[in-house]
Amino acid sequence: MLEDDIDLLLPRAHIALSGPPPDKQAAIEFLLDLVAANDRVSDRGAAFDALCERENVATTGVGMGIGIPHAKTAAVAEPSVAFARSRAGIDFDAADDEPVRLLFLILVPAVRAEEHLQILSSLSRALMHEDARETLLAADDAETVQNTVREAMD
Amino acid sequence: MPERVVTVVPEDGLHARPASNFVETASEYDIEIQVGHVDGDLVNAASMLAITGLGVTSGEDVRLVAEGAEAEAALDELERILSTPEGEG
Repeated sequence: MLEDDIDLLLPRAHIALSGPPPDKQAAIEFLLDLVAANDRVSDRGAAFDALCERENVATTGVGMGIGIPHAKTAAVAEPSVAFARSRAGIDFDAADDEPVRLLFLILVPAVRAEEHLQILSSLSRALMHEDARETLLAADDAETVQNTVREAMD
Repeated sequence: MPERVVTVVPEDGLHARPASNFVETASEYDIEIQVGHVDGDLVNAASMLAITGLGVTSGEDVRLVAEGAEAEAALDELERILSTPEGEG
């Protein structure tokens, strides 16, 4: 189900191959703004607060240069993922001290908790493949990012 | 090889703070520790990415396997984290 829905979950408008600021909090805002600019966030402040609250519980810097800030929030009506890539790397306070280069933001409506965990775990499994990470680091266009995520989540 | 099956008690499942405590503890031991669903593949217990990929929810059973000098001690401590309700850890 997820595999067929990548275009809805992670549309090209939510993909930035460069540009996130080097500061963690600002990078999360950058990702949020990709989704907000696509008219999917009804309350940007509430969405940002939910993301920060989750981040304060434990970092979403999961290691291997990957950050997956995520939250359940009533500020979105449909599950949405955004991707951004940082050449310089961002300090996410990850357990392995690796700077984060691949960033995925996940926002899921508050009432769809199961889907939230499902997207988070599928995406994490996909990113465990080294070839998927390498392809994302080298991707020249948004379509490559979508295809890589689609294939890796199969 | 020492192993055991543990029911995950925290409301968040193996996510957020419990997952963070779990990975941190597993990392402190200089031995190989693996975790997985009872009928599934095992992953590195010291990798947050791998743990997040398991998608373990509250009430589910997980299998813990460790090999090495302090295997039983490591499993004791990891079991304690998985068995402790949120906020009491």
